[in-house]
Amino acid sequence: MIGARAAGRVSVGTAILALSLLAGAAALTVVAVRGPGRTSALQDRVHGVAATLRCPVCQNLSVADSPSRLAQQMRETIAAELQAGRSPGQIRAEFVGAYGEWILLSPPKRGIDLVAWAGPALMLLGGLAVAGVAVRRWTAGQREEVGEALSHRDRGLLEQALSKIPEEPEEVG
Amino acid sequence: MDRLGTFALLLGLGLSIYGLVASVVGAKRGRPLLIESARTTAYSLLAVLAAANGAMLAAILANDFSIKYVAENSSRETPTFFKVLSLWSADEGSLLLWNLILAGFIAAVAFRFRKRKLETFPWAMAVMYGVSIFYLVLVIGPTRPFAALQSAPLDGRGPLPLLQNHPLMAVHPPFLYLGFIGFTVPFAFAISALITGTLSDRWIRITRRWTLAAWIFLSIGLVLGALWSYGVLGWGGYWAWDPVENVALLPWVAATAFLHSVVIQERRGMLKVWNLSLVVGTFALTTFGTFLTRGSILSSVHAFAKSAVGPMYLGFLVLVLAGGFGLIAIRSWRLRSEGRFDAVLSRESAFLGNNLVLLAVTFVVLLGTIFPLFVEALADRQSTVGGPYFQQTAVPLFLLLLFLMGIGPLLSWRRTSPGQLRRRVTGPALAGAATVVGIALLGVRSPGAVLAYGLAVFVLVGNVGELIRGVRAYARATGRRGAATIPSAMSRNRRLYGGLVVHVGMALVAIAVTTSSSFASRTEVTLSRGEQTAFAGYVLRYEGERQIAQPQRIVLVADVSVSKDGEDLGRVTPSLNLYPAASEPIGTPSIRFGVFRDFYASLIGFDGDGESATFRFFLNPGVTWLWLGGLIVALGGLLAAWPGSRRTRAPPSPLIRSRELAVVSERD
Amino acid sequence: MREERDAVSGSHPSGLDPTAGRHRRRRRGLTLASVVVGISVLTVLLGFGLSRDPTVIRSALVGRPAPEFALQTMDGSQAIRLADLRGQVVVVNFWASWCLPCRVEHPALLALWQRYRDSGVVFVGIPFQDRSNAVRAYVEELGGDWPELADPASGTAIAYGVYGAPETFVIGPEGNVAYRRVGAIGYEELAGQIERLLERSE
Repeated sequence: MIGARAAGRVSVGTAILALSLLAGAAALTVVAVRGPGRTSALQDRVHGVAATLRCPVCQNLSVADSPSRLAQQMRETIAAELQAGRSPGQIRAEFVGAYGEWILLSPPKRGIDLVAWAGPALMLLGGLAVAGVAVRRWTAGQREEVGEALSHRDRGLLEQALSKIPEEPEEVG
Repeated sequence: MDRLGTFALLLGLGLSIYGLVASVVGAKRGRPLLIESARTTAYSLLAVLAAANGAMLAAILANDFSIKYVAENSSRETPTFFKVLSLWSADEGSLLLWNLILAGFIAAVAFRFRKRKLETFPWAMAVMYGVSIFYLVLVIGPTRPFAALQSAPLDGRGPLPLLQNHPLMAVHPPFLYLGFIGFTVPFAFAISALITGTLSDRWIRITRRWTLAAWIFLSIGLVLGALWSYGVLGWGGYWAWDPVENVALLPWVAATAFLHSVVIQERRGMLKVWNLSLVVGTFALTTFGTFLTRGSILSSVHAFAKSAVGPMYLGFLVLVLAGGFGLIAIRSWRLRSEGRFDAVLSRESAFLGNNLVLLAVTFVVLLGTIFPLFVEALADRQSTVGGPYFQQTAVPLFLLLLFLMGIGPLLSWRRTSPGQLRRRVTGPALAGAATVVGIALLGVRSPGAVLAYGLAVFVLVGNVGELIRGVRAYARATGRRGAATIPSAMSRNRRLYGGLVVHVGMALVAIAVTTSSSFASRTEVTLSRGEQTAFAGYVLRYEGERQIAQPQRIVLVADVSVSKDGEDLGRVTPSLNLYPAASEPIGTPSIRFGVFRDFYASLIGFDGDGESATFRFFLNPGVTWLWLGGLIVALGGLLAAWPGSRRTRAPPSPLIRSRELAVVSERD
Repeated sequence: MREERDAVSGSHPSGLDPTAGRHRRRRRGLTLASVVVGISVLTVLLGFGLSRDPTVIRSALVGRPAPEFALQTMDGSQAIRLADLRGQVVVVNFWASWCLPCRVEHPALLALWQRYRDSGVVFVGIPFQDRSNAVRAYVEELGGDWPELADPASGTAIAYGVYGAPETFVIGPEGNVAYRRVGAIGYEELAGQIERLLERSE
């Protein structure tokens, strides 16, 4: 579209879009930088540790979530340890000492367990690379600019014409 | 009864073998009569398997404990409703149901294609009969439901306590099975297309509705599973990233990718190998799912008790993978792309992105699920992969998917100019950004949650906007008025509008999940009789304990009165169920569902004859939107799959089929 | 209506070029090879998975010092500390009245206790998540006079990594956990472990 008025409209629209995206990004950054709140309530701290441990009696639930008796007693143990001044890391290590590594609900980021974390990261990089290559190959030679969109009148004519066309026939099972 | 059942199963096996052989021979030698006989065999197979299931049902209802399965899974005291459900509450019985549903699908395919002479049809039937043979061999061999006991006990053990606690058991497994088994149909047609070498889009068009139907069933099954986890298991959540939950999710993810990428193949003639691989992969994932669930590889709350059938499942899985991908590899050189993409800024790119992200999700969930196996094999150590891992790896991918759901409908096919895009995106982006700012101001501390809200609103506004735009354009073009324009507008392109509705449902699901994860509050407290506690603005008092004796169990109910600001709001009654067969009591939560939040009470245990009790109380906001979102997703799928009016259509006019007319695609 | 065969395959330009054919075959061979390799790896992994019991969890404590405990007996008459028992073989048995395998293993425990009680072997029972009257009734019914220690908050059970009943730990005279059994323990099994530790300490 040409014409000073149209150009003005375009830039205002772009400005609104850009500003809103910027505001959103800024808000997100602020939230990210602020970080999670420091939880002081004992129950929240217990929950924080318990959520990283696996309940031994109910499959795949965390100690924080499990409604079983043993999990409740484990939470009480964690609470006592926290009150005694132990750090979450120390408490986790104690549970690992008693139950083994599988009591951790999430594999630690070292040793062979690193594969669990590296796998998705490598996949992400690999996927982006594949996507990049594929897009390049598929759009090769088509990168010239196309003409601008239809004018209003043309669009109206188009919609009228389209409404008269029957739906694309297809064979379906 | 057991003899009737075993005979029916053997007969079914014979029929399936005949169907397979007759289809193959008929296809290779060009004998239409053989093919037709193989086709009608499907009806007999269905009848025979219905008889087998009926025999088992009759045995259960008649308390015939000479049959091992009935003795282990039913009892005299089990209420009739749950007796019926015990047909599928354990391994052998649920396999019997699996066979019945599979026979149902084969018969449906036989019926649907009775008049059309497709070259691929006999091969597709052969593949389906082959799958049926495998599952029949399972119920005749290692996992026999009709195995008899030497001496019949006087009473049965009853179903697993967890499986007779709630009527949801009636619908959750059947819908899941309908979904899993439904994917056999597109798989069969894809294999037959590979075998016969007819590698045009035909097999996709033929099976499109079947794939969509299976996808809808699986979606409903997954939502029902979440509802069960929430309402029955009593831990306050709805998804535990349990291995069996994960393997049920995997085919759904792969099928979603497939439903999108087939559109690219139809429009651009590209991604042929990819689509075939997706279909084989989806079916392989359902087989992998049964393998994991029944082959006792991983421990899970869902896993069936140990049975010696693992190697057979593994063998079948290897056969499916080797056969499917082997055929693709052999034929891949014939599957050249016919077209190309025009521009990066196009709906095709969004669909491609969708596939990449969903592939990543599949990979991550699969890796996480079998990783403990991998560690144990290589490092001889046991490890766990649970919720936190999937939250950190899969959730960012879901956020990316949300973004694609929002921007995809705003892009045009082939290419979108930046100006067009900007015009369409501004509204939704504004709404999304405003949401981000608003939620951040509310004090939410997780950037992931804030972003999720923003993206969900972006998707909602964008998709609803496109819906309205489409209906309005139709109304303007045809000059119609009134509410009746909406259905007619939508029926012009059901696939598109169905997809928009599904996106709206998924956005609602995203909002529900984010809200319940970010804003839920909980407390754990021990109260003695008469003591009260305050939680989330409510005052809760433990009134006392009472016992209800039922034929199959004893229920210990704790009455807790709920009041807010002095106003009495009634009672919640969380309970513990004591079944004779279980060593620990099974808890039943008491939930007050609400539109915006649920009040959820769960009983952990009693001390000293009910003098005091330990409770967990939750306030779970937004969970109801999860069920609502799931319903909308199912409805959207239904709209997309809805058959058109059966009038004879004119052959496609050159105007439409010509791909040069870029403007035509803009309307879609 | 016949189906269209893939229109491309018949007259594909690459069909005219011999090197392209070889290239195509190599590509196809590569694809097939990768499919075979991928499926084989998966098969081996899943086959391995079938070969072991997923419900068995290994102990982290074997070979390491046994966690200390100081508990009162159920009747409150005395307090027992693990440290006081250093120098003797200690069999710690976690059990519950609601657990059926516990009843199955009890005769073996009884017999072994009688056989070794004067040889410097101490038996200690710790009820796991149980009520005191149920514990008393069980012991009265099945016999056994070794001390039953009260662990009401399951703190000791948790320290030992217990997740079900019964579980039996055999602790050597030097204070390390020599053996752990999840589930009912057998007579020969436990006797063998005790003999081994007694021999070693001589």
